[in-house]
Amino acid sequence: MSRKSERLVNLTIALLGTKRWLTKAQIFLAVDGYEGEPEAKERMFERDKDDLRNLGIEIEVGSFDPLFEDEAGYRIRPDSYRSNITEISSRELSLINLATSVWQGAVLDSTALSALIKLKSIGIDSDLDAIPSIEPTIHVSDENFASIVDAIAERRTISFTYLSQELVEQQRVIEPYGAGTKGGYWYVAGLDLDRKDIRLFRLDRIGSEISPQGRTSSYQIPSDFSMSTQLASPRKTELATLKVRRGKAEKIISASQIVDTGDEWLVVEYPFLHQYELLTDVLWHLDDIEIVKPTAARAAIIALLGQVVSAHG
Amino acid sequence: MVKKSTPTEKAARMLDLVPFISAHQGIATEELAEQFGISVAELLSDLNALWMCGDDRFDLIDLEFESGYVSIRNAQTLNHVRNLSSQEIVAILLGLDLISKDLPADRMDLRDDIDALRSKLGKGLERVIDATPANSGEILATIKRALLSGRKVEIDYVSATDGALTKRIINPIECYVADNRDFLVAYCELAQAQRTFRIDRINRATVLENVVAERVISTQSDATLRATVAILSNARRSRESLGNFVSGGGQQVEVSTYSLSWLARTIIASGGAMKVLAPEESRSEIAHLAARTLAMYR
Repeated sequence: MSRKSERLVNLTIALLGTKRWLTKAQIFLAVDGYEGEPEAKERMFERDKDDLRNLGIEIEVGSFDPLFEDEAGYRIRPDSYRSNITEISSRELSLINLATSVWQGAVLDSTALSALIKLKSIGIDSDLDAIPSIEPTIHVSDENFASIVDAIAERRTISFTYLSQELVEQQRVIEPYGAGTKGGYWYVAGLDLDRKDIRLFRLDRIGSEISPQGRTSSYQIPSDFSMSTQLASPRKTELATLKVRRGKAEKIISASQIVDTGDEWLVVEYPFLHQYELLTDVLWHLDDIEIVKPTAARAAIIALLGQVVSAHG
Repeated sequence: MVKKSTPTEKAARMLDLVPFISAHQGIATEELAEQFGISVAELLSDLNALWMCGDDRFDLIDLEFESGYVSIRNAQTLNHVRNLSSQEIVAILLGLDLISKDLPADRMDLRDDIDALRSKLGKGLERVIDATPANSGEILATIKRALLSGRKVEIDYVSATDGALTKRIINPIECYVADNRDFLVAYCELAQAQRTFRIDRINRATVLENVVAERVISTQSDATLRATVAILSNARRSRESLGNFVSGGGQQVEVSTYSLSWLARTIIASGGAMKVLAPEESRSEIAHLAARTLAMYR
């Protein structure tokens, strides 16, 4: 077990410390742990390269002499290995500390910790008094989230099954552009290749594992794409006039403008986007809310209530 | 607590230990282990492995850790902080975004710092990552503080069953997470019973510093009502409105809830997309509530 990790570290030291390209033969000589038949060593080396790549360490392949391509050379460029962040203030570090604590127990927990360690290694100790006592938390236990983040970073197409409005599992293929959370739900936005349009998907409606397709860097994220715009609530352009029983329906009142206050009722103007959303919101509150306007919504709610009564009578 | 690391994870940690120790020469082994989220035994195994690394043609890492304090010399090649991976950047960006949107009113000055930090670390990923907290971190922090100090809390709560705002004094028992949301189990003095509260429905929370709460043990005995519900249309929306109280698939599902009123409201709010098949008690309650509401319009 431990031999393998030591070999990876020694390989990194050898390739990072060299200014010249190293051939495989030189690597096998210099790095402990490459043993056995030539093919076994080759296989070990290939696996090690992949493992280092998964850690974000890129091994560059070059050649000694452009005329003879048979002998490849390897090295790790120090400027691709090193972080280009050279300075970090103690206030910044405190904020990063808080930002990583957000992940406790969630899917990127250890990722956040390793990021924090790297940033702390840049040098300054954090000054915890500088930050407020808040405890924001991220709850995403969905392993798919990590795959989506990787796909966005690598710009790699992904496919998955998605629960349609009719509860049918559909196969979707997207170029993922962004990810985020709002209202306790997690989303990925991307270009749906079948529907040829940018769509938003909720992670808890994804039924399969995320499977990456094809090559990395296979598309570009449009320069005007912004995840916060994708997640912004659409502007509610319609207004309903509602009578709300006093002391009830707090969420409706706090989203409304109060236009009249009576002893028993408040009259409010409540913004909405689609009539069905207005009806759902109002129906929930039973006889604590009456729709005054629009008249179409008033007529619709009367019809729906009639249906509910006859379905349960 | 910590699962056994793979050789690759161990290698990554060994690489990251070098610059970390350089920046914290003489750090105690216990603290170093804590910073890396591993046991002291695992740390010592990492340090022993690291000490064996290097080759005289390149570097001989000089590590000293027998005294219980760790220092390092002669590790030039590895003495660089590694680049952050995209996942690491995203983890930090999401955390920063949540903090930024959740700052208490008196710390708005930090918002610019956070924005600057997001672009400093982001490598362009900051525009494709966005997070808005589901509930106020300040409220969760207040409740956890009350739990720790054994104090009661006064809350303004918007009821999930009838939407009314009530002031309650509660004795917190435990916090838990379900379906990516925060919940609090507490003894509620208003209801004189144990209740489960959704943190995102608490508008305000104040610790009652002078009221020591008697310890309460969770009974988790919210009585359950089981109902059979037919989903007639808008299948996904209907099913999701039943939250995690639902089991079974297809057009006929079973719902377990402690609140008949919640079930009735959810069914009525579906506007005919769902109907209760059984029990009869719940069907007649729904018919009664819908008829009463309809009467208001006549």
